[in-house]
Amino acid sequence: MTRASQTLSGFSIILALASGGVAARHAAVTRESAVKPAAAQAQVTFNRDIAPIVFRNCAQCHHPGEAGPFPLLTYADVKSHGRQIAFVTSKRIMPPWLPEPGELKFADELRLSYEEIAAIQAWVDQGEIEGSASDLPPQPTFPVGWQLGKPDVIARAAKPYLLPASGSDSYWNFVFRTPVHRAQWLRAIEIRPGDKRLVHHANVLVDREESGRRLEKEPGAGFAGMELIIESEAFDPDSHFLFWKPGSPPYAEPDGMALRLDKNTDLVLNTHFQPSGKPELVQPTLGLYFTDKPATVHPILLQLDNDRMLDIPPGEKNFLVSDDFTLPVDASVLAIYPHAHYLGKDLLALATLPDGTKKTLIHIGNWDLNWQAVYRYQEPVDLPAGTTISMRFTYDNSADNIRNPNQPPKRVVAGNRASDEMAHLWLQVLPRETGDAMMDPRKQIQEALALHHIQNNPEDFEAHYNLAALLRMKGDVAGAVIQFTQAVRIRPEEATANNALGGVLLGSGRVAEAIPYLNTALKGRPDYFDAHYNLGIALATQGDFPGALSHFRAAVRLNPQDAMAEANLGSALAETGNLKDARLHFERALQIDPKNELARENLEQLNRDAHGHPN
Amino acid sequence: MGRQLHTFRVCRLLLLVIVATWLASFTSASAGAQNTAFDLAGNAVNPLKSAGGKVVVLVFVRTDCPVSNRYAPTIQRLSVLYAGKTAFWLVYPSKSESAEAIRKHEREYGYTIPALRDPQHVLVKESHAQITPEVAVFDTGQHLVYHGRIDNLYEDIGRARSVATTHELEDAISAALSGKSLAADATHAVGCYISDLE
Repeated sequence: MTRASQTLSGFSIILALASGGVAARHAAVTRESAVKPAAAQAQVTFNRDIAPIVFRNCAQCHHPGEAGPFPLLTYADVKSHGRQIAFVTSKRIMPPWLPEPGELKFADELRLSYEEIAAIQAWVDQGEIEGSASDLPPQPTFPVGWQLGKPDVIARAAKPYLLPASGSDSYWNFVFRTPVHRAQWLRAIEIRPGDKRLVHHANVLVDREESGRRLEKEPGAGFAGMELIIESEAFDPDSHFLFWKPGSPPYAEPDGMALRLDKNTDLVLNTHFQPSGKPELVQPTLGLYFTDKPATVHPILLQLDNDRMLDIPPGEKNFLVSDDFTLPVDASVLAIYPHAHYLGKDLLALATLPDGTKKTLIHIGNWDLNWQAVYRYQEPVDLPAGTTISMRFTYDNSADNIRNPNQPPKRVVAGNRASDEMAHLWLQVLPRETGDAMMDPRKQIQEALALHHIQNNPEDFEAHYNLAALLRMKGDVAGAVIQFTQAVRIRPEEATANNALGGVLLGSGRVAEAIPYLNTALKGRPDYFDAHYNLGIALATQGDFPGALSHFRAAVRLNPQDAMAEANLGSALAETGNLKDARLHFERALQIDPKNELARENLEQLNRDAHGHPN
Repeated sequence: MGRQLHTFRVCRLLLLVIVATWLASFTSASAGAQNTAFDLAGNAVNPLKSAGGKVVVLVFVRTDCPVSNRYAPTIQRLSVLYAGKTAFWLVYPSKSESAEAIRKHEREYGYTIPALRDPQHVLVKESHAQITPEVAVFDTGQHLVYHGRIDNLYEDIGRARSVATTHELEDAISAALSGKSLAADATHAVGCYISDLE
């Protein structure tokens, strides 16, 4: 009955500083080479030279219904933005692609070559000549509607969000009640965020514990917030990046890497909007695609961060935040997602192999929150056990950073608001299976990671909590009690941690010690099913059946489909002499779960007693 | 397109010449509607002539420029704030945007400011406008006293502040209303190139 809590950040982004040595050099190269094609190649024409570049790199967003603010499909389209295009491509504002080119290649890289940029420049300088019709390649076509075909299930946000006409960026979360009636394997989610011109990015978080719903003022209303904390019962489900950015097709997981979606799982869509100048109603939909192939390999998300180091004085232009984590097992990196807010400047992730070899996992020299993305490697990056993954992020908290939300700048620390900062590096890694069931490499990584976070910050609530949950899974109850106690020390009123500590004490027979924590959990969250259930068990164990009865009743009310709660309610009723009602609840428990042993045995007992005492 | 200010001063002599040319062409407008801007009913309009002693603000926009669209609430708010003393006009420099498309655009973005089409770029040249959105402020003597950005929300395309920290259009209107001259009468606007519409 304990719950593991994991923080998942709603992904946020950055804007790149278009200045700096490297960018300046690129610009110079561009100008030089712009001259060459113009001179060498007598004439640059749209049909022969420019259309292929635009069709391959721009049209996927710049066509009707997509995120681009105007189409770029014809000569007239491109000509009516010609100088604009020359400008934004020469500064690499478009197409939006943050990582510097390096040894490791990303899938779907969207980066123009210097030659392509120069050709566009030359075309504009020469007067935007159309050229011969026979040179024009076929206009690209794009699927209309769902990109992966008709989804198995379509979920629509219950209520639209009203994006104001003006103001700064907004962050809104939609909670989708997924219409899934049994566990299903999800191979893809297509996120349709509404008007794509408004949405900078969106990502889906799997919420099995109704964490999102509890933040809604009314059911379906959604809630504001840039970063989220979602609780989860196990560590596996959140091991996929479910990310949308303009122009990227939905990602279908390969066979064997599907994501489990249970009945009553919510999907929380975290979205980042920019006002358009007019009020807009946004009502996203999700298309869910199932497969009958269950997951056979299980990647995990590994998070490096160092929030304690994030304490940036005003005016500081180059503030470094670092973290280093050593892999305890062999693993392959599938994807990477660096994350900072508006002060982020240069984001670097390195891997140092045991033999000293260094690999740049990603380098973003001009971080731009607005174009943040998950980057998947073309080929998995194999890293042996003992490899140290290093995060090196720098921040500019000066007034020169025009994106600085504080003008004049002020001290900025870690936090979930847009005006706070973050230094997070997420990696999706696939640990190599050892074949030894006792040495689950995923749990080894999780445990090493939790210990690492506690070392970074002894006040890290989630790390203590997650370590406790892992220790408990391993059967180390004493260790779990120590770590849950630390979590409760850090957040004395936090319902989940109090329930977990109460639950684990209860499970090891320390009933009297458990009760105060369970009471605290219910004070924090009066409609907490688990805590009512656990407290019912605790009170019943102490012989307080009337007390237990009220908590089992509450549990049944909160979750009418839980057979164990029904069976325990029946037991407590029987203990207080109410055999008639007890029987009803045992029968109800067996309706829900015909294999429920407690209900079956108690019902048999009742039947035997009834026959033994006919009156 | 860096961060330096375009601080060229409009040469007064040159300006007079331009105004003269413009006025001259306007007189011939009724003949062939050459060298003039039009209202949405197709009538030739000279926004400076019809100002009636007010400060005139021309706001250059285009229906498909995301930066100029994002400014719609600001432009509308300022036009209301300074109503009475200033005459705001939206100027659409596109040759191809129809009056109908412009009416729809105005409705969608909540504009109540009168709109002009400037397919021949008469007002564009008069205002030295290069970008949408860009504003031009003419004092009561019909002299161009400022042209450039509305404020500094955008440093560059794709590089925006969370809020603007300087407000050049408001400063220019205030100066024009109080008869003061501005130190710098031009700034570099960020948005979409008007020359792409030629």
